[in-house]
Parts: sequence; C-alpha cells; structure tokens
Amino acid sequence: MTRRLLSTFIYVLTSVIGLLSFIYPFIWPETIMASAVHGQAHSADAPLMLSVLIGLCFVALLLEIQGDSVSTKFIALLGVLIAINSVLRFMEVVIPVPGGFSPLFFLIVMTGYTYGGRFGFLMGALTLVVSALITGGVGPWLPYQMLTAGWVGLTAPLCRPLVRMLHAEDRWPEILILALVGAFWGFFYGAVMNLYFWPFAGGSADQYWEAGITLADTLKRYAVFYVATSLVWDLARAVGNTIMILAFGAPTLRTLRRFQQRFTFEYVPGVSEVA
Amino acid sequence: MHPAAWFAWLAGAVVAASSTRNPLYLVVLLLIFVLVVEAVRSPNVYTPIPVAPERFMLFIVPVSALFNAVSTHFGDTVLFSLPDFIPFFGGPVTAEALVYGATSGLLLSVLFAAFAVLNLAVSIRDMIRFIPRAFYPVAVVISIAVTFVPTTLRQIQKIREAQAVRGHRMRSLRDWLPLFMPLLVGGLERALQLAETMTARGFASNATPEKNAFTQVGTVAGLILVLAGGLLRMAWGEALWGNVVIALGALVIGGVVWQMGRHVTYTTYRRNAWTARDWMVLTGVAVTLVVLFVFSDRLARYYTPYPAVALPVFEPLIGLALLGFMIPAVVAVRGYLESVQVPVMEGQRPS
Amino acid sequence: MITFEGVTYSYPGATDPVFQDVNLSLPEGEFVLVVGPSGVGKSTLLRCFNGLVPHFSGGKLSGRITVDGLDPVAATPKVMSQHVGFVFQDPEAQFVMDQVEDEIAFALENAALPRQEMRVRVEEVLDLLDLAPLRERRLETLSGGEKQRVAIASALALRPKVLVLDEPTSQLDPKSAEDVLHSLTRLNADMGLTIVMAEHRLERVLPFADSLIYIPEDGGQVLYGFPEEILAHIDLVPPLVALGKALGWSPLPLTIKAGRRFSRRLPIASLMPVKKPKADFLGQPCFSVEGLEVAYGSKPVLRGLDFEVHPGEIMALIGRNGTGKTTLLKSLVGLVHPNRGQVRVLGQDIAGMEVADVCRKIGYLPQDPNALLFADTVMDELRITLRNHGLTEANAPIPLDALLACLGLTDKAQAYPRDLSVGERQRVALGAVMVTRPSALLLDEPTRGLDYVAKQRLFELLRGWRDQGMAVLLVTHDVELVAAVADRVMVLSQGEVIARGDPAEVLGTSPLFAPQVARLFPNTGLLTVAEVLPALEIAAVA
Repeated sequence: MTRRLLSTFIYVLTSVIGLLSFIYPFIWPETIMASAVHGQAHSADAPLMLSVLIGLCFVALLLEIQGDSVSTKFIALLGVLIAINSVLRFMEVVIPVPGGFSPLFFLIVMTGYTYGGRFGFLMGALTLVVSALITGGVGPWLPYQMLTAGWVGLTAPLCRPLVRMLHAEDRWPEILILALVGAFWGFFYGAVMNLYFWPFAGGSADQYWEAGITLADTLKRYAVFYVATSLVWDLARAVGNTIMILAFGAPTLRTLRRFQQRFTFEYVPGVSEVA
Repeated sequence: MHPAAWFAWLAGAVVAASSTRNPLYLVVLLLIFVLVVEAVRSPNVYTPIPVAPERFMLFIVPVSALFNAVSTHFGDTVLFSLPDFIPFFGGPVTAEALVYGATSGLLLSVLFAAFAVLNLAVSIRDMIRFIPRAFYPVAVVISIAVTFVPTTLRQIQKIREAQAVRGHRMRSLRDWLPLFMPLLVGGLERALQLAETMTARGFASNATPEKNAFTQVGTVAGLILVLAGGLLRMAWGEALWGNVVIALGALVIGGVVWQMGRHVTYTTYRRNAWTARDWMVLTGVAVTLVVLFVFSDRLARYYTPYPAVALPVFEPLIGLALLGFMIPAVVAVRGYLESVQVPVMEGQRPS
Repeated sequence: MITFEGVTYSYPGATDPVFQDVNLSLPEGEFVLVVGPSGVGKSTLLRCFNGLVPHFSGGKLSGRITVDGLDPVAATPKVMSQHVGFVFQDPEAQFVMDQVEDEIAFALENAALPRQEMRVRVEEVLDLLDLAPLRERRLETLSGGEKQRVAIASALALRPKVLVLDEPTSQLDPKSAEDVLHSLTRLNADMGLTIVMAEHRLERVLPFADSLIYIPEDGGQVLYGFPEEILAHIDLVPPLVALGKALGWSPLPLTIKAGRRFSRRLPIASLMPVKKPKADFLGQPCFSVEGLEVAYGSKPVLRGLDFEVHPGEIMALIGRNGTGKTTLLKSLVGLVHPNRGQVRVLGQDIAGMEVADVCRKIGYLPQDPNALLFADTVMDELRITLRNHGLTEANAPIPLDALLACLGLTDKAQAYPRDLSVGERQRVALGAVMVTRPSALLLDEPTRGLDYVAKQRLFELLRGWRDQGMAVLLVTHDVELVAAVADRVMVLSQGEVIARGDPAEVLGTSPLFAPQVARLFPNTGLLTVAEVLPALEIAAVA
C-alpha cells in the first residue's frame, strides 16, 4: 500500500516539476523582471535550469518504472520494437512528409495501450534516444523529447477503462478512442516542445522587463507565437497520428495481442503446469 | 580519450555557453567548438552528424533574428515600422530585437556545436557503457535496438520485394500496411527468439536493480527538494538558494541511483584508460569555469541590447579563459590515432 | 552424463503429450543427432536439456532429467547456462551486441566474471571457432555461417560441458553449413564436448554422429541407439541410406565411402539408365533472356546470359553462393533492372513494366516466405493477392478451394499462417503467388529448412504443375532436388553460364554437384534412388 502511495507521489511530483518548468514564465513573470532589475538576469541559464530539472525528473521516473520485474522477454521485445520504431523515424527524413508528422507515435501509443504504461514510457523515451544515437543527433533538446514521448506511452493505457465501459474491445470504437489519443498527443507534444524553444526564439521575459507587461499579455503573445509557428506543424502531426491509427490500428492491435500471451508468461513452479 | 572526459567537457561547455549572451564570447566559443569538431572527426568512429554546426548556425541565426525582430517590439532604435493592424507582427521593428534574436540563435548554435563534438567523439557503444548500473536493463534494451537496426532495414527491403511479387503497388495509404505488418510480426517473433537466447546464456534477474520502499522514499525526498529549489528560483527569484537546494535534490537522487545499482552484478569487458590527456582536458575545463564564475563579475558576462543597442564589452580575461575548451583539439587528434579500446591487461583491478 | 527417466511433456493448453515416457542415457563426449519429422517435438526435447522447457514457455513436464548432475527444472536456465550451451536456428535473432568480441563477452559479463578471466575465455573461444580474424567485425557484415559460429562461441564462452543445437544449419548455404559442422566435429573430437543436435539434412551430419535419437510421429516410443540400428526404423533418410535399406546392405552405410563398397559390386556400371523421353518444345518460350548484364554499382554480377525456359519444363540453376543466381531471378520479374540485354516473358519485353504486372503471369517464391505473410488466415493471404491484382474471389483464375486442395492446405484454411510449420508456410506463400494462375514459376532456394517429407511434397507439386504446362525455374544448392525434378540444368559461375544440359550429364560428372546416387554409381547417369532400382532389375534380367 505504501509502495503504491510512493509510486503515485513520484508520478505526481515529476509531473508537477515538469509542468512548472515549462510554464513558469507565465505564472511568475515578475520574478524574472525583479531579478533582471537586480542585475541578476538569468535569461541565458534558464534553459539550463530547465534541462537540469527535466533531467532529474526523467531519472526519477526511470528509476520508478524500470525498478521491478523487468523480465528478459520485456527487454528483448522493447529492444526489437524500438529498432523498428527508430527505423520508421528515418522514413520521416527520407520521405517528404508535411510538417511535424512523425510515424513514431503510432507504435508508442499502440504498445503502451496493449503492453502497459511502463512499456509505453520506455518505448517512447528510448525510441528517441536510439534514433538520436544512430543519426548522431544527440542534442540539448533530447531530455525534453524523451520525457514527453515517454508520457505519451505512459498515459496511453489510461483510456482502457473507457474502452471497457463501452465494451469496445476489438471493435471500431476502440480504434477511434486510440485515434483521439493520438490526435491529442500530436498537438500536446508540439506545445510542450515549443515551450522549450520559446525562450530562445522570441519570448523570454527578459526582453519585456522594461515595458513591465502582465501575465495576460505574455499568454497572449505565447498563443500568437504558437499559432504563428507551430499550429500548422502540430496539426500535421495530430492528423498524421490519427490517420495512422485509423488505418493500421486494428491489425496492429490484433498482432500485438496475439503475441501477448507468449511474452507475459512467467514460470512459477508448481503453478505453471497447465494441463 | 576517455568518454567521461568528453562528458565532463560537454557539461562545462554547456554551462559556460549558458552563462552569457554576449555575442562576442559566444562567437569565440563557437569557433573553438567547431575547431574541436574538425579535430575529432575520425573515420574510425561510427557516427555521422546530421548537419555541420557551421551550416546550422548560418540557418538559425538569421531566422531567429528575423523572427524576434518582427514579433517583439521594444527597443529604442527603430529601423522601420510595420502597419499596426497586423496582429502580433504589427509595430516598430527595432535593431535591439534583431540583435537579441541573433544572440538567441547564436546560443543555440553554440550548444549544437558542443553536442556535435560529443556525437563525433564518443561512439555509440561508449555512450551506452556510460549508463549507470541502476539502469542496466535500459542499457541492454538500447544495445539490442542499435544492433537490430541494420536487420530491420534489410527486412524492409525483403518485404518490399516480396510484396511486389504478389502484386502490391504503392498507391494509397492503405498500401503501407502490407509493408508494415510483416515487419511488426517478424520483429515480435525475433524478439521471442532473442529472449530465449538471452535466457539460455544466463541473462536473468541479476540484471534488475533492487527497488524497495527505501529507495522510493529517497526518490520522493529528492524530488521534493528539486521542486522546492525550482520554486525558489522560479517563484521567489532566489537564484543562489534555489540552485543549492536543487543540487541537494540531485545529490539525493544520485544516491538512490547508486544504491539501486549496487545489487546489479555484472562486470565490464572493455575499459577505456584514463590518461594524462584526460587530466589535461579536465584541468582546462575546470580553469575556464573557475575564471568565468569566480574571478569574473557576473555583469561582465551579461549583455543585453535593450534599451538601446550598444557594442558588447569584451574582457580579454574571459576570452582567454574560454580557450580552455580548445585542449581536446590539441590532444585528441593524436589520441584518436592511438587509442584502441582494448580491455586492460594484468595489473588492473576489475571495477 | 545426461539421463531422462520417464519424461513426458505436453504443450500449454494441449491434452495430448508431445512425447511420453522418454528414457535416455547419453554418455559424455557423444555426438548425438535428434531426428524426426517436422513439428514432432525435436526442439522441445532439446529445450529440456537446459530448462528452457518449462521455464521459458510453460507446459507440463513430468519425469526426471539429469544433466551434468543437475536437474534443469530446479536449477533454472540461468544456472544451466554454465553447463549447457544452446544455439538456435536463426542467425539473425541471437545477438544483443553489434560487434563479435562484445557479443561473446556479453554472457561473461552477465556471469560477473573478473576481467582477466573474461579475456582468457574470449581468446580461447575465438581460437576454437576460428573467429580470431573476425573479432573486430560488426555482426551485420558477417555471413550466416560466420554468425552461427559466433553464436556457438558465445555459448561456449561459459565453458559448458554440453552443447545443444536446434537446426543450426538449416538457414545456411552448403558452404557455411560445412564450416559450422566442421567446427562442431572438431569440438567434439578434440575437446570431448558432448553435442546434441537436431537436424533435417542428415546427409551432412550422419558421418559424424555417434548415436541417434528418433522421435516418431503420433507420440510413439522415442528411440535411441546407433545410427545404423535406428535408421532401419525410419523413413526419412538420405538417398544413400534409402538405397541401402532397399537393397539390404548391412551394416547400413553412412558415408559415400562405405556405400561404394557395396555399390561397386553391383552390375550397374555397364548399364545405361532408363532414358527420359526428351520433350519437344513447341511454341514460344516462357522466358527468354538475351545478353543479360546486371551490375550493382560498378560491380558486375551477371555478364551476358542467354537462355530460354519453355512451358512444361523444369530448369534448375545451380552454382556457388554469390554468383548471381538470385539476381537473375529478380531481373526476370523486374525487381532488378539490367544494364544491358533483354528479358522477355511470354514474348513480351518486360523493360519498363511494373513488377506487379509481370507477377501476374509469373509466380515468384522468394527465399524467405515470411516476408510475404501477414494476414490473419491462410484464405485471407490468397484473397490479398487477388485484391492486389484487382480480381475478386468470384472471378479468380483458379477457385481458391481447389488451390488449397492442390497445396494440401484445405484443413488449414482458417489457420494463422505464421503459426504453421516451415513447409506449410512455404505452401501458403506458393498459394499466394499462384492465385493468378501464372504460366511460370520462379523459386529461390525452395528446400531451405524443409524436412524430407515436405521436400517430397514439393517435388510432387512441381512435377504436377510442370505436367500441366507450367515453366519452372529453380535456383538451389540442393542437388537432390535438382536430381529429382529438373529437366535441364544450368551452372552459373561468376555471372556466366559455364555448363548447361541434361541433369545426368551436368550433375553426374561434376565432383561438386553430384547427388549421392551419382557418387555411388559414377558414369552411369543415374541420379535418384527411383532410377536405380528399375535399372538394377533390368540388369538382373539381362
């Protein structure tokens, strides 16, 4: 019982820290202005602080998730599926696709939904790591991508109760719900990534301290910034995810489920003798 | 050179770059990093980089400058004005905003270049080996994924040909399915086979780090500290205290990582030797950071074009200190020709 | 050293046991072969040796097993890994690392051995398997045979006393298979390593086996004994042994050398074999290739080939690995574009045609039929091809039920294709490419991984289609297949045809490509057991 409580704490804390790190300029622009006034402008090292916070969150989450019973089958399955997903990511580079469309998210959502949040989190985070490694693209934005993609996979199974309620297992409403999940994350992932780039590209409150703008103004500016740069991009991603799930979701789910029994089998002496 | 030395170099580089927006310093750093990139580029190391740092810079600096100029309308030196009725973009376009955008782009380029060094200098295997003990299962997963990428690519080719001979044509979206499904199923089958092989070779529960209530409490405590420190910085602007508390939180989490790693039993076959070169690089980085943060005034690194754009100040001491990052360019060139990752012979204790 | 007492096992969820009441006692240092029809449980029996059954896949196991003093079920595979090494069939799915030396060291790292010890063992195992020149290589650049040797090395690094192999050479070409077997026999002979191996292609291994374990179909008694004794009981045997049994040679010869002692005494040398009537080829050829030149980049693969394949004949293409045989097949359907030369299918030049269009008239069975199959049922696989070509079940060129019946898959029509045996999967793939009633069939290494029964079925299928007027072009290393079905043979070397003609001529005299019967009766033009017996009768009468 305590263990579950502690687990929940960890998930909650990491979410809170993650969220705050991204949106604090909106909530506390005065602090930044005040610090600027004192000549302690941290405009440049705010991203660094962000990275440190996100990095620590990720480590904590990883500790929690891969902590118990990671079986050999789990590891082998993750490894092979991540290889496939990373190769799919190549396609994104090779084939001209509109905007932010990324074929990654399809498998992340599908496997998270079928094999559990743990699997989904690792699938998301590690796909990004592996594809960065093999393309030589390890960069300062990697921890953000890892954490956010991990969240995609971690939250995918949350819609299971809804599916069960609708008695939609193996029927089209299930796919529809998953497609909505894909669409949601298509947008949200983009929004989160933007929050990383915004301080660089045009929104650092450091610029505004002279004029003393308010929170409302900052939010308005962010909204417009988002629309100007990212909405179309993220729309492409959301639409892409939806289409992929609608088109390929059913056979993929069937296949993943077909293999599920073999992968989750754990031998327990005296009990596992199935006659 | 030892990968840990590279990671330390990178950490120092990132900290140094993040500490200033002074374009002169940033340019110096960029030049140094590009130099190191060229020195380290070795045909032996199997990693490409997607874009050369110079090209990245040439793209991102103007883009960032322009974007900022048309979206931020503060500053005293007005170049021209866009009509006010255009939302967001309407208003005076100032030189200050242009310069600020340019420095943002420059900062990104410097970070990009620093990471490019890492990508070229440290092989994938070394990066994987660097993963702490507590995350051994994750390291194994990454190893497997990296190993299976070539297989997957070959499979795709085979599948494309096999589907073509049964009449498959790429006409619509649905036609991707016959390419994807055999890949997925084949992957699942291969994963099962791999799991069996690993089991037969004795890979089992020694690989799992031990998680218990104690470590969980530690994690929670560390996270609370991090949150507190973050709030201190973000909400109350107490930078110094905030950093301290965050650092404490990081230490606690680090301790948990160490503790969980203790029960993971495995040894490592390959080891990189830590040589004098690594000490030299480390010293260089340390000296640079000390000069930057202890011996310089914070204001010396601070630069802002607002309210009226002015030429940035260049303090020779800082400029000189930044050269500390160039040491790998000098030592690593020769180092690569000689360094062979051989497991160390007698006289060396296993870790 | 290894004992089985009253061992019975059934798959999870199954009512009938796979094998029951198995009693074995294998001494140390033996080279044991496990034989039996496909799907009978050889793999399962092998996995009992190191605890993979039941730990990895479940099921009900009863009886007592002792391996090197340990009970695998109680000890778990982790402990058993240091006593029993296991090598699997697929060279593509056994590696965690991407470099040879790292992969070998992986098992040692997990056993937490001190670094000094690891170094010693890695060196020793590299030498044992002749892998030292390959140690820095990336695994993806190695051939199948080299990969299997790395897999063996990784298993041996833990210094087990027993090495168990589940069809290690079935995915390999003959040269690689030979290398692997050579290493195994050396390990057994020089090091006294106990080897237990499941294998279909007995020709390669029989000479080295000390004993055989035979698992019959339908859960009968599992037999164990000397090869000559056990072979007398079973039907799936190489031609040499089949001939020996038919002619009553005793003791049954296991090598050509032993067989020659018997065959020399037979009055066959003076006989001419029953000549097959030479077919008259009317009408236009199905395939016609003129001056075909193909190169990959700057490397030439095919240098000026000319040949024709007519309806109603089976043409076999043989040659060493890497001589361009698969490339030739691919250029016949348009998967590969020639630099020069012309390929005509049914009189039409295929240059510029899409592969899908060409494949309406030609069926192509690729080397790995798994790349084809992805539907939920066998019937769906057939329907998918129909849909690809814009046809429906109603206007299908062959009624689907008839096709399934021809392939022997009627009772598997609703089965999940990937759960079927190797032979069945191949037939499903054949069905998938034959559904448009093509006039010709191209097969790339069709007997890889098949047991004798499945091979026989394939022979019958091919002969049947040939008699209906289909043109068949096979690429294969399997000379027994060529001897059984081919009407004409071409030998390819370095991208050129160096020999062509009647199988009896081309194969009979070649030291490399002669089937077993031809080696037993050189210069007679006899190629198969089915030809020898009538020839003998004629000789007896004369």
